[in-house]
Amino acid sequence: MRDLGRDLGRAQHLSDEAIAAFADDVLTGHARQRARRHTALCAECNHAVAVQREAVWALRTAPAPALPSGLLDRLRDVPVTTPIRQVPTHVDEHGNTMFASFAAPAAAFVPVQPEHPRRGRPVAFAVASVAVLGALAGTAASDSGPTREPAGPHPVHAGYLRAELPKHP
Amino acid sequence: MTTVDPAEAGTIWVPPTWDEVVREHADRVYRLAFRLSGNRADAEDLTQETFVRVFRSLAEYTPGTFEGWLHRITTNLFLDMVRRRQRIRFDALPDDAGDRLASREGGPEQAYEQMNLDPEVQAALDALPADFRVAVVLCDLEQLSYEEIAATLGIKVGTVRSRIHRGRVMLREALAHRAPGLRPANEFGEAPAHA
Repeated sequence: MRDLGRDLGRAQHLSDEAIAAFADDVLTGHARQRARRHTALCAECNHAVAVQREAVWALRTAPAPALPSGLLDRLRDVPVTTPIRQVPTHVDEHGNTMFASFAAPAAAFVPVQPEHPRRGRPVAFAVASVAVLGALAGTAASDSGPTREPAGPHPVHAGYLRAELPKHP
Repeated sequence: MTTVDPAEAGTIWVPPTWDEVVREHADRVYRLAFRLSGNRADAEDLTQETFVRVFRSLAEYTPGTFEGWLHRITTNLFLDMVRRRQRIRFDALPDDAGDRLASREGGPEQAYEQMNLDPEVQAALDALPADFRVAVVLCDLEQLSYEEIAATLGIKVGTVRSRIHRGRVMLREALAHRAPGLRPANEFGEAPAHA
């Protein structure tokens, strides 16, 4: 196996890492010039670069799998179907404090879409709602270990939390 | 219109911007999950779990690259899955992936998938060690930079390059029988490689 140390001289083969980087055209400056000169003279390294590019080409020309529509529906339902193990104790029965305190981080997440200015207000409102729910869920699930969590005896759903949302301006 | 009327969304309330998050990123997450896992059942599970994690962590999200965050979650879930199955294999428990796959309903997408996916390329990808596969998929299909991949996986850039190099070599060897149809990609601006 070649190594970086052998990459120093023009006559030496390019390292594996340099081969990959040269094939991806991300080498710059002297390293790039050296790789150019070397591959022009060295059939072995020239072949190694070609192998890299052929692999990339095979991958990129393979058709991408289409998103199953059933999955899209399930993803859309995540806020409704994601159970929360327990309701944080610092939230009052109406949930007002929680929603207010998490509104700020939600704002940081708002995806600005200037090309659709007319949707600005609804988007901001809805994102705040989502982030609030996410915050509540994240707090409740902070002790979660396993990937799949069974619903608790009293799963709290986003829809229920939504019903307690205070009116946003 | 200043607020979203829940009634408009039907009986089940779905936050509109969650819908936007899903619409904007679901395709890409699923594609990544499929390329990593190599089958629809696992890809669906990984995608679903990624979005559950996103939903639960939205308030902890600090502004940055949302795509990068998704890549990290999906990739780490995949690597967790691989490690978990390796442990299960050691314990000689059966892998239920086949059963779960069979339990999924077949639909137009599945037919499309079977007709259009390149099974040889996917099989070659599946044959790579998980660490190499992740590096190659993130680089060549998701087109992340070496630095972004290093940050995603928590490894050094040199290790990323090395895994990419080795993974591509293995991939190309697995597809060697397709040599006439696997032409060199010389769109990188370099001189064409050997014939």
